[in-house]
Amino acid sequence: MSSKETFTQISPSEFFYRNRDLAGFSNPTRSLYTAVREFVENSLDACDQKGILADVHMSIKAVDAEKQDPKQYILTVRDNGPGIESNHVPLAFGTVLYGSKFGLKQARGMFGLGATMAILYGQITTNKPVVVKSSTDGKIQDEYEMLLDIQKNKPVILKHETKEVSKSGLSVSICLEGDYAKAGTKIRDYVYQTSLITPYATITFDDPKGEKYRYTKVIRTMPPSPTIIRPHPHGIDVETIRRMLLDTHYQIPAVDDNMISKVRKELGLANKNLSHSEIMVKTQKKWKTLTRPVRIIMALVSFLKMDFEKLSKTTIEEIDIANKKLTYWDFGESQSISIDMDPESFYYKQLANTVQGETITSFLTKRFQRVGPTTALKFAEYAKFKPEHRIGTMTNQELVKLTDGLQTFDDFMAPDPSCLAPLGESPLKKGMERFFEPDFLEVVQRGASAYSGFPFVIEMGIAYGGKISSRGMKVYRFANRIPLLYDEGSDVVLKVVNDTDWSRYKIKGDPPLVIVSHICSTRVPYKTVGKENVADRPEIERELKLALLSLSRKLSSFMSKRGQADAAIKRKNLYSKYIPLIAQFCTELAGKKNEPNYKQMITEEPIVEEKTD
Amino acid sequence: MDKQSALVDLLRKHGAQIYDDIDNGNFPKFTIPSRSVSNIVYDKKIRQYILGANMAVRSSRNTSQLRSFTQLMWLAFFANRLTGQKKSSTLRDVYYSSQAFAVDFEDQSESDNIIVDLEAVLASPRESFHVFPEERSSVFGDLTIEYTVPGYEGKKTNLSDHPDGYAIGPSLTSSEFTETSAEVVIAIEKGGLFTRFVEEQVDKKFKAIIVDTGGQAPRSTRTLLKRLHDELSLPVVILTDGDVYGEHIAMVIKSGSANAAHLRGLTVPDAKWVGVWATDIEKYKLPTIPMTESDIKRCHDLLKDPRYQEGIWKKELEVFLKIKRKAELEAFSKYGLTNITDKYLPQKLELAKSL
Ligand SMILES: Nc1ncnc2c1ncn2[C@@H]1O[C@H](COP(=O)(O)OP(=O)(O)OP(=O)(O)O)[C@@H](O)[C@H]1O
Ligand SMILES: [Mg+2]
Repeated sequence: MSSKETFTQISPSEFFYRNRDLAGFSNPTRSLYTAVREFVENSLDACDQKGILADVHMSIKAVDAEKQDPKQYILTVRDNGPGIESNHVPLAFGTVLYGSKFGLKQARGMFGLGATMAILYGQITTNKPVVVKSSTDGKIQDEYEMLLDIQKNKPVILKHETKEVSKSGLSVSICLEGDYAKAGTKIRDYVYQTSLITPYATITFDDPKGEKYRYTKVIRTMPPSPTIIRPHPHGIDVETIRRMLLDTHYQIPAVDDNMISKVRKELGLANKNLSHSEIMVKTQKKWKTLTRPVRIIMALVSFLKMDFEKLSKTTIEEIDIANKKLTYWDFGESQSISIDMDPESFYYKQLANTVQGETITSFLTKRFQRVGPTTALKFAEYAKFKPEHRIGTMTNQELVKLTDGLQTFDDFMAPDPSCLAPLGESPLKKGMERFFEPDFLEVVQRGASAYSGFPFVIEMGIAYGGKISSRGMKVYRFANRIPLLYDEGSDVVLKVVNDTDWSRYKIKGDPPLVIVSHICSTRVPYKTVGKENVADRPEIERELKLALLSLSRKLSSFMSKRGQADAAIKRKNLYSKYIPLIAQFCTELAGKKNEPNYKQMITEEPIVEEKTD
Repeated sequence: MDKQSALVDLLRKHGAQIYDDIDNGNFPKFTIPSRSVSNIVYDKKIRQYILGANMAVRSSRNTSQLRSFTQLMWLAFFANRLTGQKKSSTLRDVYYSSQAFAVDFEDQSESDNIIVDLEAVLASPRESFHVFPEERSSVFGDLTIEYTVPGYEGKKTNLSDHPDGYAIGPSLTSSEFTETSAEVVIAIEKGGLFTRFVEEQVDKKFKAIIVDTGGQAPRSTRTLLKRLHDELSLPVVILTDGDVYGEHIAMVIKSGSANAAHLRGLTVPDAKWVGVWATDIEKYKLPTIPMTESDIKRCHDLLKDPRYQEGIWKKELEVFLKIKRKAELEAFSKYGLTNITDKYLPQKLELAKSL
């Protein structure tokens, strides 16, 4: 057996088993929880992206209620989102690594893997198909029943029907092996915490025991949605640079019929046959509106001096910028012909730019976020490149040098946080208010910060007293609006909370205290692939500390005010008890008949307590 | 009595001040000499512990002091009634009396403490505002007194009329001394020996007034000793058991205790401790018992006290430490019941003149 075969021949279950831990499908308990997460998060992502206030219904029903766990369950998640175009449904849910969220902005999903893995897990454990119902227009709904063929990375469609509906949205339903007895608490926590961090969504959950959990939206406005942005130089590695260069890399264009009709179209010469010079006049007029490939063709045509008729019988063989020579194959003549290019001409310069790629400075300003011409020049000097050095001509070594420089140069502006979608102070506050009904509530959103070129924003809220149980401090951790429920112990948020000397803020014992922490980033530095705890990057730790500090100071002043109010009442009671006695005793001591007037002393609130030893 | 009316004046003055404060809507407060350990210092000149300059403020505004402020006010009020009506009371009695006025003391030690506070404010012992100790010690000898207590005014008694001696209570301490033939006061630690001394007519043989201190002398007994010394110019000698505690009983009569550092006039600086000394144990070949751990510890503690830094005080402590044995006054009975009065006492009285 050749080694090549073992790589290509991989069964669906094999693929799944190889990757199940990574994706969170290690056992029936964890798998049920992960499947819930994947579908709910997809629904929320889809609604967020279209600015729709999400209404997500989730249900888990046992196939056979009598059976012992672990057993088969039907998991259904339905939303009021945009749905998926009918022909994309099989791709989105039947293939791995198909997704719409690869761009550089904050979303819950990242890899184009989640839904498919959950479907695959269901298929492997129960051998039942997935049912997807989707309507994009709120009129027609496509219903698919599919099994997955991972070998071919494509779905087998068992059934496809359409019917009329009145609402848009998507629903996924799978049958899977799960253990609700064990996963129930986590799933309920997940639903609860998700609605806490998504106060603009309504989430309902019908559990297998017939319990209904319903969290309605607290606010009707959506936090501003993030924009897709270009990468920051600090967050780049050699591989990414190589890929970016590939995008811009020059290829000798094929002058085939397709290309020629494209050129005709852009020049607005649909069917006309013009002479070479007439064509060039048109070109000059339209230059600004032409696409890059067409510009290249027209630059070549300027040297070739051909009309379209002639051009269609030509193939470009070589463009030698250094020697200013252009070589082409003439089908008619069946021979190679070289001509000289005039280096002074406008078209030569255009061609040279294309072949050699952009200059390093234009590469930086155009392809990265927040790099202006001045910074680009400074960078070139720092990394020891000529500013006009063309990136298309770089050797491997130069690429490494460039990457190192990009990562270490300090004068780039901080990463652009517009790709982030923090919840915002007011929604967070309203959410916490509804969930905890506390006596004290404060939230803070820190300004954007960055670690290794990835922008992040910390949001935090602290609630005290009221309906919060006094069973001790509780920390709710979120990253990109996803609750983190597992592996609490090693999380950076927990570390920061535990490092705090709470007695300094007048918090003692088992306080009725809740902390909500939300980290938003294009790349949350998870410690493990399970995406459950955040590693302690110093930049993130610092921001968390500052957020917690500002909140706990406010809490502390609340606590001392509350303490003062309590003390004032206590004081008043004491004064009412003792001052009359003192008055009585001193009256006889002083040999007076009437008691002194002490009424105001026991009715007025004394402001400060005198300090004596 | 002059002193008494001065005290009543003081009480009225404090009361009026507080009355005015309240009437003006101010929270009354007053200052008390601080009785914390750091404020107790030894005054070499007057040879006793006194309070230093630190003052503690008691404010009725401060809720943590309000309760004790009220308690103190009540006690002043109660003391004023006692002195005005010439009634006497005891520590325990004060504790119960408070309950008639809705002033609550948690326990007697709390009320005892407030009594000490009032002593400090007024700079006079509680006997001066008619709070007397429970324990009664006794006195015997040729001294005629004239009572001043209500119902007995002008009545006279001679303190040698009753062989069990006279209890040193409020009426005795507040009486006037009219006449005596005595030339010395002998204070003795134990009731048993006091009876023996009376039986052996020590009062006549040595022209002495005999005082039973009943162990550590109560303050009324110390006041009596001081008055006998000051008013009748009688020297005071002290006989105790031959141990550290005995030595300290003598010292407290002579120079007071740290607990009473806030009070003057309770000491008899000229009083002399004549025995039983540690050196007497050897000298008189007395039967002994070994010192206990706590005896030894107490010995070390006293050696740090500024009053034990010289003379017999220091020397005897060191001998106790060396021999680690002690002897009681009764030990003299080994040589016959009257040995102590016949032999030991005369020698010691003689010696006292040169001390
Ligand atoms: N409820 C939905 N409504 C609309 N589109 C959806 C929905 N669920 C999934 N999709 C589309 O299907 C794609 C694949 O989803 P999948 O969960 O596999 O990947 P992902 O969410 O992009 O990344 P991840 O693997 O991190 O979950 C998504 O990118 C999205 O375009
Ligand atoms: Mg997903």
